[in-house]
Amino acid sequence: MNDFHENPNPHIAPPLGPEAALDLTRSILARTSGSPCQRLQDLACAFVDGELEADQSTLVRAHLDHCDACAALVKTLTQTQAVLPNLVELDPGPWFTQRVLRATVHLPPRPAFDLGRAWKQLMHRPRIALEAAYLGAAASLMGVYLPLPLPHLAAKVPALVQPLTQPLGASAQRIAGQVVQAEQRTTASLEAFPLRPRNARSLWQRLSARFKTKIQSFRKAEPRAPKNSAEGKKAPPANP
Amino acid sequence: MDFPHLLALVRRGDELAWEAFVRQFQSRVFGLAYHYTAQAEDARDLTQDVFVRIYQNLALVPDAEGCLPWIIRITRNACIDHLRRRKARPPLWDLPADEMFDLRSSDQNPEEAHLEAVRKGMVHRALQELTDLNREIILLKEIQGLSLEEIAAILEVPVGTVKSRSNRARLELAQKLSAAGLCSADVGG
Repeated sequence: MNDFHENPNPHIAPPLGPEAALDLTRSILARTSGSPCQRLQDLACAFVDGELEADQSTLVRAHLDHCDACAALVKTLTQTQAVLPNLVELDPGPWFTQRVLRATVHLPPRPAFDLGRAWKQLMHRPRIALEAAYLGAAASLMGVYLPLPLPHLAAKVPALVQPLTQPLGASAQRIAGQVVQAEQRTTASLEAFPLRPRNARSLWQRLSARFKTKIQSFRKAEPRAPKNSAEGKKAPPANP
Repeated sequence: MDFPHLLALVRRGDELAWEAFVRQFQSRVFGLAYHYTAQAEDARDLTQDVFVRIYQNLALVPDAEGCLPWIIRITRNACIDHLRRRKARPPLWDLPADEMFDLRSSDQNPEEAHLEAVRKGMVHRALQELTDLNREIILLKEIQGLSLEEIAAILEVPVGTVKSRSNRARLELAQKLSAAGLCSADVGG
């Protein structure tokens, strides 16, 4: 005979046993919100640290009363939090201090900034070769494609050298004269064969102009016949 | 003796002050190196290297509370370099993971001390199974007790990342310890 038949009052439902109540809760949650264990995992650390508000703590405790897996997780979290701070110090052995003192006894302290050490650290960077190559390439491109200020400098050099030649001796005057002559020759050659006129177009401008010309030539060509049409297949291609 | 006075004496070249400085920090540095490398001899060598670096850069040691994070940072860098070298040139034979033989034992009775050693050994082994970032966050936050900002500066990640990762790392560690039976260690030893 089951409980239903023993129930003296057939209008009142018989009380559920604990396991049946748990199964009922699980089945309802499975059909509605899903398992609350994931939500508990989000709150577990704050619960162990005592950072949850009172309402949430009550809800977490109520879940832990009925979920063995989450209760075990929270228990392990609590024990881990108790053990972890004890791992901060480990004894390296009785003679370790003497070993360190022997290693440092003859070492002179270094100054706060050591240029040699800084250079060595810079050279030990794993990407130093790549960075140097990149900077070199960028400097080369800038030197080639930017307008060169040499004519202006060349024009200023004689004015800079002229006052220095007055108080110098004969050999220095001779060198200064040679410098002036060299600068004059450089200026003359630059005027005769300029490295790059100031109004010249850059590489990018030349490439884009060439690209535009190509596109215009393609557009001017006659359009092809459509592939799907039977007439297009039969018709011979247009001869430009 | 307060730490700034000790550091001033060390900078003046006082050998006794340097010895006190080494004794003050050696267990902490060795513990951190051991959790990174899982090899006692490697951790000893790294700890010695760290103190040599500190001695050669005494002018750079921060005076007050910034000293410990600074030491932890150079210890961590030394360990990361060591692990990279070991990964690039692995040893010819497998190195067995050392047991934690030199734990700072407290004044417990032998049974409690044994249980404590078992728990620490399990936590140490579970730490080695975590991902690198999770292990570092556990090491620096939960074991070394650094603040979120200090950890973010050392790991060069945002503070929010450290905060969110911290909870995830603790959960991952707890799940691994549950699987290893940390709770049963209380009963069965």
